[in-house]
Amino acid sequence: MNNSPIDFSSSRYRSARYSKLIGHSGFIGLVSLGTICVIAAIALITLVHMKQIAGILAALALICYLPAIWWKQYLSVLPSTGASLTERLNIALLTKLSPKMPLNPQSVWQALKDHWQAIFFTNHLLLADELVTASLSTDPSILIEALTLASSLAEEHHTDTIEVGFVIAGLFMTDSNMQQLLAKQRGHAEDFKSIADWLGRNLGETTHMSTKTGGIGRDWAFGFTPLLDKLGRNVSLSVSGRGGTFTWLTKSQGVQAIETAFANHATAIALVGPTGVGKTSHIYALAQAMINGISPPSLRYHQIISLNATDITAVASGRGQLEQLMISLVNEAGRAGHIILFLDNAQLFLTEDAGSVNASQILFSIIEARAVPLILALTPQDFQNLKTTNAGLAGMLTPVMLAEMPENDIMRILEDNASRLEYRFNVLIPYEALREAYRLSGRYNQDEAYPGRAIKLLEQAVNHAEQGIISRLSVQHAVEQMYGVKASVAAPVEVDELLHLEDHIHERMINQSHAVSVVANSLRRARAGVTNPRRPIGSFLFLGPTGVGKTELAKAIAATYFRDENNMIRLDMTEYQRPDDVQRLLDSGSGEHSSLLLKVRQQPFSVVLLDEVEKAHPDILNLLLQMLDEGQLTDTTGRPASFKDCVIIATSNAGAETIRDRISQGQDLADFAKAFSDELIASGQFKPELINRFDELVLFRPLNPDELAQVVSLMLKDVNRTLAQQNISVELTPEAINKIVAAGNDPRLGARPMRRMLQRTVEDTVAKLILEGKVRPGDHVRLDETSLQL
Amino acid sequence: MFISFVVWWYGRGWQQIMRSFSVRTKMVAGNFSMFQLLRTLFAPWKRIITFPGRSLEDRLKAAADNAFSRAVGFVVRLIVLIAGLISLALVALFSLVEIIVWPLLPFAIPGFIIAGFVL
Repeated sequence: MNNSPIDFSSSRYRSARYSKLIGHSGFIGLVSLGTICVIAAIALITLVHMKQIAGILAALALICYLPAIWWKQYLSVLPSTGASLTERLNIALLTKLSPKMPLNPQSVWQALKDHWQAIFFTNHLLLADELVTASLSTDPSILIEALTLASSLAEEHHTDTIEVGFVIAGLFMTDSNMQQLLAKQRGHAEDFKSIADWLGRNLGETTHMSTKTGGIGRDWAFGFTPLLDKLGRNVSLSVSGRGGTFTWLTKSQGVQAIETAFANHATAIALVGPTGVGKTSHIYALAQAMINGISPPSLRYHQIISLNATDITAVASGRGQLEQLMISLVNEAGRAGHIILFLDNAQLFLTEDAGSVNASQILFSIIEARAVPLILALTPQDFQNLKTTNAGLAGMLTPVMLAEMPENDIMRILEDNASRLEYRFNVLIPYEALREAYRLSGRYNQDEAYPGRAIKLLEQAVNHAEQGIISRLSVQHAVEQMYGVKASVAAPVEVDELLHLEDHIHERMINQSHAVSVVANSLRRARAGVTNPRRPIGSFLFLGPTGVGKTELAKAIAATYFRDENNMIRLDMTEYQRPDDVQRLLDSGSGEHSSLLLKVRQQPFSVVLLDEVEKAHPDILNLLLQMLDEGQLTDTTGRPASFKDCVIIATSNAGAETIRDRISQGQDLADFAKAFSDELIASGQFKPELINRFDELVLFRPLNPDELAQVVSLMLKDVNRTLAQQNISVELTPEAINKIVAAGNDPRLGARPMRRMLQRTVEDTVAKLILEGKVRPGDHVRLDETSLQL
Repeated sequence: MFISFVVWWYGRGWQQIMRSFSVRTKMVAGNFSMFQLLRTLFAPWKRIITFPGRSLEDRLKAAADNAFSRAVGFVVRLIVLIAGLISLALVALFSLVEIIVWPLLPFAIPGFIIAGFVL
């Protein structure tokens, strides 16, 4: 028995071969030759009466035309003829296969890789075809599995023919190597299916377009609408001109709810949903359903005209004129008999602000008189305001609530919009860019809902396309431009650097190896994705005496993990000791321009350093619990700000004496960390719930004189960096360094006095030498202990 | 190849021609809005109507205006309906000829040759 999934002896396969044999050029040749024969035959019979040759030429013409008809009507499309794979496979696939070639995923891919549907896959997943070829299996049994999957994809999309795209999806989805290849490209396993569905919808749009548009006499039983044509926008006509753009929404719950409401004799509907949720798109979809004759009979061939408050106020300035105009518009719509008026941003018709028309009273009368069907688009907040300010009008509206769609539906809408943008701007939008638009718009645009915010971001990303490709980076740049945040450091540090984080930190920090290693391990865990992504990248409580490097380690993390020391938001918690300081911390930006939430929105990839955290008011510490737990805080206007891309570091000197005593007794930091945290809780300096929220409790030990000497050497590098502008360098002998350490050493203050001491000695000495002209550009100054004046 | 062609010509090809008859008639009926026009044959043209006043004269005037509007609507719709019916008839005739001629076309090849010599 033959195990091949393709029946090469079937008549459909033979027809596919004939189709290839004739081809489009053969069809043109046959038609041309046939036409020449016809013309010649007519010429011969009419001019020279050569009936015999004319008869032969006419027969020849038919011999050309008949196979041409066969090719055009059947062979070129080869509709599916049965349930078996061979009867259903797309002609493009059948013509590429032959019984002589090996049949396996790799060979089928090679046969199909130049087909536009295969290119659709590789382009949107950024997969190189050589890599795909190398990854795909040569096992024939996997091909059968892949074709079976392709068949079920075709059924999902209600098409008898198994399109090339479905076969490609089947090949990719059944091969584990392909999933690994996609993972390397940062793709998700489900992307193959998503692309197949996207392609399937595109194919469906072109094959299932409705032709029931009502014909020539559709509107003859309805009235003229000259004023509405002038001041309104006919949504129905603009949709019918655009094709099936909103087909995906015509069967949505929102559209069906509106249709049901009208079927139940509602006169006015309040379409309530947050900005960006798709209120206007639902109206366009409803218009498309009505104009295509697929809505309930009572709404069939009705037209939706959208009114804009700004346009109306531009025409009529005075209040009386405005009212008269509104009445005329409504009367015209009512008389026409097939108009549904749509008031987009309906709050503009209900207030007296600039660019608004307060038509509440007129609307009330219209609805009461059932003069014309109305749809008012309102945000939940506007609808609530209307209930408060005009309960009578609000009570007459039938509310249809639009909630945010699930992620899968939003991605589908993004895909359809990507097709539109690709066509319009001649760009390619890979799937990774769609995912990034979804992710980043959700994080940084709290003013709008999905899918609007993601579509808006994607449209903006067109301006950041590079070489015709809108990549993940293009979307990040668009976010930076739109919201003023640094999104492009979303991948803050390379893996290799992360593996050697301790070395990078120690380039600017002396010792504290235990603290550095605790922090580095935690950051590596976060980067590897083994920690909770809904919380901050890392959260640490730094405990230890003053001047031991707590702030310096925070700066080092900002510089190494977020690539810039300035990516740090620093708050002195001693300034937040009163209960009303909570307001200051959560300010949305209108009053306090330096609020924590505002800063974190502007700079989401940052170290948030909370100095002397134990001194903050308990209410603020409670907020800190929320920040550490949920990775976000909500501002005074109810908008959340994300801390999920932050490293939170709280510092405290609490228990500094204990640390100093234990270290002086020769104990190791790691050995007493647990007992130390218990002591802090027992002494009431920290609540257990706060200490337990931090990823790590990091203890810093006091620095010994040798370490202080190294700190001085590090600080000297800073001095030399400044003097390098004048081409001067300074060197300290070991004795000079020891002298500075001895003079500045204060166990209570750690390394803090060293900078002051260095300033007083080295910087002052060098400054004097420069001013006296004893040191010139290009000189190297070597200072020993005798040169330093303490 | 020849057998495949013959099988298609007298099988699916011929069926397709028969099916296209119904598709074409539906398309013509739809494009001329025939069912819609029949349903609204006596409706006023573009809903242009006069509302009757209180006096008898106003009522008579309104009735006359509305009757005129209905008459205009009726005439326009009737013209389009007639045009639609003629189109339907032509389409039906063309399709019928096509259905009859289709199976005979292959035989026309020797037919033309013979006719050339005989006639």
